[in-house]
Amino acid sequence: MKFLVNPAKFNEVTDYIFKPVLILSVLLFALGLLFSFYLSPDDYQQGSTVRIMYVHVPSAWLALLTYATMTLYSILALAFRIPFGFIFNTAVAPIGAVFTLICIISGSLWGKPMWGTWWVWDARLTSVAILFIIYLIIMFMNLSFENRIVREKVVAVFILVGSVNLPIVKFSVDWWNTLHQPATISKLSKPSIDPSMMIPLIIMTFAFMMIGLAIAILRIKTEIISRKTNLS
Amino acid sequence: MIIVKDLSVERLDKKIFENINLSLTSGNITILRGKNGSGKSTLLKTILHIIEPSFGTIYWKGKLLKKNLYDFYDNVTYIADKTSSLTKLTVKDNINIWSRIFFSNINNSQLETALKTLKLENYLNKKVGTLSLGETKKLEFLRLIIENKKVWILDEPLSNLDEDSVQLIKQTFEDHCSQGGSIIFSSHQNPGIYVTEEVQL
Amino acid sequence: MIKFLIKIIFFYYREYKLNLSGFQDILTNIIFFFVSIFIFIFSIGPDKDTISVVGVGILWTLLLLSSTLSLRKFYQDDFENGNLVIMHLNGFSFGFIAILKTLSNFLFVQIPFLLSIPIACILLNIANDKIIYLITSFGISSFILSCLGSISSSMNLMNQRNFLLGSLIVMVFSIPIIIFSVGIINMEESFNSLINILFGILLIVFAINPWASGLCLKLSLENK
Repeated sequence: MKFLVNPAKFNEVTDYIFKPVLILSVLLFALGLLFSFYLSPDDYQQGSTVRIMYVHVPSAWLALLTYATMTLYSILALAFRIPFGFIFNTAVAPIGAVFTLICIISGSLWGKPMWGTWWVWDARLTSVAILFIIYLIIMFMNLSFENRIVREKVVAVFILVGSVNLPIVKFSVDWWNTLHQPATISKLSKPSIDPSMMIPLIIMTFAFMMIGLAIAILRIKTEIISRKTNLS
Repeated sequence: MIIVKDLSVERLDKKIFENINLSLTSGNITILRGKNGSGKSTLLKTILHIIEPSFGTIYWKGKLLKKNLYDFYDNVTYIADKTSSLTKLTVKDNINIWSRIFFSNINNSQLETALKTLKLENYLNKKVGTLSLGETKKLEFLRLIIENKKVWILDEPLSNLDEDSVQLIKQTFEDHCSQGGSIIFSSHQNPGIYVTEEVQL
Repeated sequence: MIKFLIKIIFFYYREYKLNLSGFQDILTNIIFFFVSIFIFIFSIGPDKDTISVVGVGILWTLLLLSSTLSLRKFYQDDFENGNLVIMHLNGFSFGFIAILKTLSNFLFVQIPFLLSIPIACILLNIANDKIIYLITSFGISSFILSCLGSISSSMNLMNQRNFLLGSLIVMVFSIPIIIFSVGIINMEESFNSLINILFGILLIVFAINPWASGLCLKLSLENK
């Protein structure tokens, strides 16, 4: 597991992993899109719009997952002085921002036919919008500091402080009585979703994960190289 | 009192200076010489433990400086290359604030003679922002007398000063050393002050 | 110990002197606050009922905006002229400097706003019995704002390009505070529970503040 904290080991391992991950993500996307468009049934209430869920839910999960891993790496970097955490944070923040943006856009595309508006001020939507703004602030901070040492540590502190938003996003549907429906899949109870819809959802989640992983590997590698040559 | 052993500071894998050794006992004057950007200010800040060294150790009175930090701070006056006086306030206010913060025990007559020798007695009610560069620098030196501490750490004390003031500083340094104090200061030119140790960066 | 207390007292003497000489800055802040209230009223129209409905929200938004205006000066002056180092050499750790500075910001920037709230309430037709709720909720949340301001401005000390980022950080994190403190005024029966929530947020932020600000201050001074 050393490749998760060591740049040289990371390069070594990802040289083997990268191509399989890329191929896997293409295959999974093809399979997932096939399933979600042709092999899954319409919802009896929502009709065909339910298919937006197969993009919306995985991107939302991955937006949260990305932030959670960034928080973890910030703790590693600040407390245990592992510089790979800083590399990870700079490289991965835009990916999380894109996932959040996909989640927001697909959600409002779904909201227009279902709720009648593009946007509602409910707790889940607002907290995801704040998550997007936090991602943007992290990216801007990465751009606007001259000094790299200060920049990466300050960004790590900001990520830690901003992580209070994560539980708010996660539990907003349970804590407040909102328009956004509560989670359909959770570990503790039997999922309230039909297996025929569950399969494409899981495939799409893995497809999103793989494509995110592939881009993350590329970005982390460029970040390592640019640090070696002192470009940033 | 201060012993610096094999001190190195790195930033972004670039060495600013390495393997600096120096020791400072009472009555000593140490000068740091070097070109612009050779790391004189960084070394002074490292001795003050504002910057943490990459390698090497600093001892204060035989103990590690890191563990004895606030005792060290009780005995040191630091004057940076920039002026620390509050430019919005008058000279008098600045002196008042300093003498209260640092628990100064100097009395008014001592202060007046100090002001007179520094030729600042006519500026007492002027805002610091209106003084010239050399005058603010001299006002900064007043802190040495107000704080009345043993170790002086001075960053470029002789820049922007005229001949008379340099002579005055020289005299002050000698007086301080004869009373058992010690001084580290940095300079990029030859100051013509008697020093016991010279460190080339 | 007594020496330490005296040091703290004279730290505030210094802050008082500094803020007294820059008193017109604080006054400008407050005038900005009032002028923006006028502009808000002109843009909504002088209808009494509408104003009394949205009044509290307007008041809160403008208070937040005007208090972030003075963020730039939170640490910047002391950082630039080296007074932070002198305070540190005078026996305060960086985290403690952050606490002292936060309190000083609360005293000299937020309290004047607190005093001007009753006048603003009269202008916005807010009922008299609500003013006391407004002042208590703003009293707590302005302290939270001071802590957030300390964190964000210490983060942005080395950021010469884009200082608006500091205000952005404060505004993003102040959203929950606004939700709860506007809730206090609109739902008087649950006053106590909401005050407790606000107080809890205050304690959390107050605990994070010395750690985060102290770390950022130390970092910035190290790499100045």
